Amino acid sequence: MWQVMEGSHAVAEAVRLAGVQVISAYPITPQTHIVERISEFCAAGLLEARFLRVESEHSALAALIGASTAGVRTFTATSSQGLAYMHELLHWASGARLPIVMAEVNRALAPGWNIWTDQTDSLSQRDTGWIQLYCEDGQEVLDTTLQAFRLAEWVNLPVMVVLDAFFLSHTHEPVQVPSQEEVDRFLPPFSPSFRLNTETPCAFNQLATPAVYMEMRYSIQQAMASALERFPQLEDAFQTIMGRRYGAVEEVSTADADVILVTSGTVTSTARGVVEALRNRGEKVGLLKIKLFRPFPAEAIRRHLRRAAKVAVLDRNFSFGAGGIFAQEVRAALCNLKDRPQVFGYIVGLGGRDVTPALITEICRKTWERAHPEEADEWMGLTEVPYESGTAGP
Amino acid sequence: MSPPHAPTEYPPILIPRSFTTTEGNKTGSWRFLRPRYDEKTAPCSVACPAGEDIGRIEMLVTQGLFKEAWETILLENPFPGVCGRVCHHPCEAVCNRHDFDEPIAIHVVERFLADMATRYDLRPKLPKLPPRPEKVAVVGAGPSGLAAAYFLTRLGYRCHVFEARNEPGGILRWGIPTYRLPEAVLKNEVVLLEAQGVEILCGKRMEMGFLEALRGEYAAVFLGCGHGRARPLVVPGSQLPGACTDGLQFLESIRLGFSPQLKGTVAVIGGGNTAVDVARSALRLGARPILIYRRRRGDMPAFPEEVEMALEEGVVLHELRTPVHIEPSPSGWSLTLQTMEPVGQPEGLPAEVRPIPGGVERMAVEKIFVAIGGEPADAFFAPPEVGAGTLKLGNCLLAWAGDGPPLVYGGDLTVEIQSVVHAVASGKEGAMALDVLFREGLEAVEPILASCRVGPGPALSMEVFLKGLRCRRNAHVVKYSEINTDHFTFAPRIAPPRLLREERIHGFAEIPLKISANLAMQEAGRCFHCGLCNQCDNCRLFCPEIAIHREETPRGRRIDYDYCKGCGICVVECPRNAMSLEEEEAS
Repeated sequence: MWQVMEGSHAVAEAVRLAGVQVISAYPITPQTHIVERISEFCAAGLLEARFLRVESEHSALAALIGASTAGVRTFTATSSQGLAYMHELLHWASGARLPIVMAEVNRALAPGWNIWTDQTDSLSQRDTGWIQLYCEDGQEVLDTTLQAFRLAEWVNLPVMVVLDAFFLSHTHEPVQVPSQEEVDRFLPPFSPSFRLNTETPCAFNQLATPAVYMEMRYSIQQAMASALERFPQLEDAFQTIMGRRYGAVEEVSTADADVILVTSGTVTSTARGVVEALRNRGEKVGLLKIKLFRPFPAEAIRRHLRRAAKVAVLDRNFSFGAGGIFAQEVRAALCNLKDRPQVFGYIVGLGGRDVTPALITEICRKTWERAHPEEADEWMGLTEVPYESGTAGP
Repeated sequence: MSPPHAPTEYPPILIPRSFTTTEGNKTGSWRFLRPRYDEKTAPCSVACPAGEDIGRIEMLVTQGLFKEAWETILLENPFPGVCGRVCHHPCEAVCNRHDFDEPIAIHVVERFLADMATRYDLRPKLPKLPPRPEKVAVVGAGPSGLAAAYFLTRLGYRCHVFEARNEPGGILRWGIPTYRLPEAVLKNEVVLLEAQGVEILCGKRMEMGFLEALRGEYAAVFLGCGHGRARPLVVPGSQLPGACTDGLQFLESIRLGFSPQLKGTVAVIGGGNTAVDVARSALRLGARPILIYRRRRGDMPAFPEEVEMALEEGVVLHELRTPVHIEPSPSGWSLTLQTMEPVGQPEGLPAEVRPIPGGVERMAVEKIFVAIGGEPADAFFAPPEVGAGTLKLGNCLLAWAGDGPPLVYGGDLTVEIQSVVHAVASGKEGAMALDVLFREGLEAVEPILASCRVGPGPALSMEVFLKGLRCRRNAHVVKYSEINTDHFTFAPRIAPPRLLREERIHGFAEIPLKISANLAMQEAGRCFHCGLCNQCDNCRLFCPEIAIHREETPRGRRIDYDYCKGCGICVVECPRNAMSLEEEEAS
């Protein structure tokens, strides 16, 4: 059924349809609409779940770790500072192999206080062992949340469904909401691989000595690899029932492109328009959208990018002292190729600044004009920033 | 992690877990602090002169156990209906909830319980000791005498109460207007008292030398004779016939059914509860009363709430004035007043006052009521000077005259503060003292009484004296800072319905109206139950080690010290400080 809803509510609909049993969350803009809507579902009896109101994000995830260990389907949502506060428990959830699903609304980190979109919050958690899926629109948010539960429970790893603040979380779009029957066919009830059971008491998450710790870490990596491998199968199943698929990456006109833009999140939609416009002018521009960031689909990325001369990566994030995070990952994926494209990194739209068609067109032009990228990624649309060195020196 | 020869249910997922119970790991061995259940003393119960276990009473009301709550009052005080109405409730002044929002309306709940008992004609089930050979005579059926007889009866003694008048109650029957204490309330509680076995003999006035008559039959005499006579006002003109009317006698005449019509301005000299009662009664009978008090309003011994209600009803207060002269005038009496000023202001004490030179006022009044205190009706009722042959206790005095039976002077003549609840405390103390005296001798009286204090005292607990379940409570008085207020939400104190001012001033109907059980439970539910376990289960729910178990004992739960690590979370999360954490003794 088609419904007009904002991205936050698309997440909430998916949580309702997935029959989540325990939700634990702490409010933070721009995530709050998600859990507000879920709490309404619980209050109205549309979702039979325990909704735990906790005093912090740290506790929100801690409570889900307990619930998930007890063998029920769990969900939380957060953003920015809240995600940062969960950091310790992000590692715990993956190390304990718990299939917790989280909606992460990309928001810039303070200070200065900024509630607008920026991917640095989720990307700075990339090494915590969570699967990360970046979404482009409301439909993808709903579909990806449903897929997230199946994927998480399949490989026993937690999954983060990532969506841009406001551009996606608060924007109303037509979304096709599947029926309960369709969802039930795609997503069976949670059948945990292990669970707390007082009849066979045991201790979870005990000491692991050097003799076993490394194997445990390796098994998490195996699960990540398996998630990457199984993602197409999962999408096959989803497509059979729902008629939609997204791909770990999605290419647009890359086959004959000289320059390929690499994007994630809502910037992708803007880039689609730019690519179409430039193509209409005869310029061989393509687009690669990265949806699955962890596990990183390096093979697929190589396949789509290798023939191009130049790749322009748009990063709405930044790793201080290095560069755009997607650009680094793409360079790493390509570096062992014999004839590899030149990778140009562009930093755009931090703290919610608009990434306009004009800006993306300019990125294409710059990439086109230059033979080689600069050492450092280029910050686009920046007003001049005077550099002040610290007063203390050697 | 499992060994290589692990059983077949080896999980597909490599996580650090055991495959057998870890109960063998007795985490209790890590403990160096030990939590334990340790009920403490609520400040209200310490402030109550009768030592009522108020925290427990409120808890029982919250649970809907009204009869048990009522009986819990009766353990310490035979007059919940009376005290729920006329007690000045010092308990509420120290209520820890005061620091949070507002104190619990303890007196409202107490009154509710007594009304509930009357409504359903309940009979209390109270512990009563086997009969004792000694008989005790009680002189005066006022609150102290009745209380003494009540507690002595429960301790197994046969008691005869000798009352000069034709009905028991003393000041409660004759000196308190019915708008504060309806007659039926007192009667009901006297009936219950008699049902316990107290024998009240009315119309038995004690004459000089009465002790001789009682000797032989009674092993001891409790004297709770009270103020049988008003202290007269002594100023020029006060002795003129009809100049001064004794306030207490005025109140008594109303209680006897004589309600004179009054008119015009009347003066009421005094600042105690009797003065206020006289003024409010005069108002109801048509007069415009003016209360004349020599100190300031805040210094009045009358309970502030009573003063406030009097002023609300239209009584006028002239503070810092004292009568110096009375003379007849055509319209009645001309009263000359000297204006006073405070001198210094000692902390917590009434201000000293001195006359302002030249400060003289004159007022014309129809009538002058005097209520400046009382004295024993007969000199032989007055307690002897403290000295040889006496033992002064908190609210009464033990004395021996020659080889006669021991005497206990109690009630208004010996109490710390003249109030109904102090009279009850006095009767209880006298009863306990006599019991110890008979069974263990004089030397044991003071130490045993000291061991029955509620917290640091001075209130005494009959429950502790009888070694009841609650005698184990720790004497530590719970402070507000020891309450975990995270577990409470703000809730306004009950404002019990009252007659409107317009309804009050034309009659003697009781002012506060009855409240429903629902409201009483709501109010009692605001109580922190300081130091008392109300089975909230926080300790068990918060225990990270699952080391607290429910069990079928009065306490309801048990700490499994094999696994308790001594983290102290249970103690911190106990909302009401009913647990303690102590260092383990070195093994």
